[in-house]
Amino acid sequence: MRKYQNMVFTTSARLVRNDAQAEDISQEVFIKAHEHFEMLSASPSAGGWLKTVATNLSLNHLQRYRNRWRFFSEMGSAGESGEDAPAVDFAAPDTFFEAIDSDERRAWVEAALAKLPDHQRVPLVLYHFEDLPYDEIARRLRVSLAKVKTDILRARVALAKILSRGGASRDAQPA
Amino acid sequence: MNPHDAEKLEAAIHRALRSIPDRQAPAGLEGRVLSELGRLSALPWWRRSFAYWPLAARAIFFVGSAVAAALVVGGLVRLGLPAGADALAAGVGERLAWVAMARDVAASIGAKVLLVIGAIPPLWLYGAAGAVALCYATLAVIGAAAYRALSFGRQPS
Repeated sequence: MRKYQNMVFTTSARLVRNDAQAEDISQEVFIKAHEHFEMLSASPSAGGWLKTVATNLSLNHLQRYRNRWRFFSEMGSAGESGEDAPAVDFAAPDTFFEAIDSDERRAWVEAALAKLPDHQRVPLVLYHFEDLPYDEIARRLRVSLAKVKTDILRARVALAKILSRGGASRDAQPA
Repeated sequence: MNPHDAEKLEAAIHRALRSIPDRQAPAGLEGRVLSELGRLSALPWWRRSFAYWPLAARAIFFVGSAVAAALVVGGLVRLGLPAGADALAAGVGERLAWVAMARDVAASIGAKVLLVIGAIPPLWLYGAAGAVALCYATLAVIGAAAYRALSFGRQPS
């Protein structure tokens, strides 16, 4: 459990954006793992199994508790069709970090991710951290493929802006 | 944004996200899991999930269920259906007499309500419907504003 608890907690925390709920979900993941101990103890893919269960439970949690708020949370955002792709003139950088240690980088990116609204953050996390393809994300989140692509693109643009701003302010600070 | 920039942005974001290490799980997580596992294992078998029942108990449950189902079906057949069907229907009808009475009362109340509504000028009804819609919309906007304020106010620790 010690080997995987950081991975399970991180997976859940990035999706639900709430540490207490992520801890509850992590506990549930390890209890399920205990139920399948015989199968997992000898399996080389135990880590993948735990990550998948953590992702599924987190998505179930979001679905269960946020369905009623979907209307509110997406009010004023991109339409379900997702056809209105962001017309943002943004010069994508090659990299956001040069000489930053991993702890600072983690804190910086996690804070930037937390600033994104749920309907952008969740598909972005599923795409970049969980390596799910667009169509699978659309199926899991029960939204259209076009909306997933638009939300992820918007999330990348927003994240890049936040990270670039953070980098600029950091560079401006005296050493 | 042209496709080249979109691809460049995707690659940059991917690198940025994948370069960060996992977060540290709370120190108490392991203890919580072990404590919950201990609590679950202390439960008697009949209070746990069916999958955890002893094999013998599961077998007895299956056999018992099959016997009970067979007894019910056999009992009904032995009662003499369809010869006893009329008596059965009459018995059920007696027991459900209150349903018919409730239906009559509801119909009577409904007729009176319709009579009252018919006497109200249509303009009043439209006004009332409009007021209800306005209240609903106001509540929805307040709820959305509160949700967004609370949602975007949260920060991970």
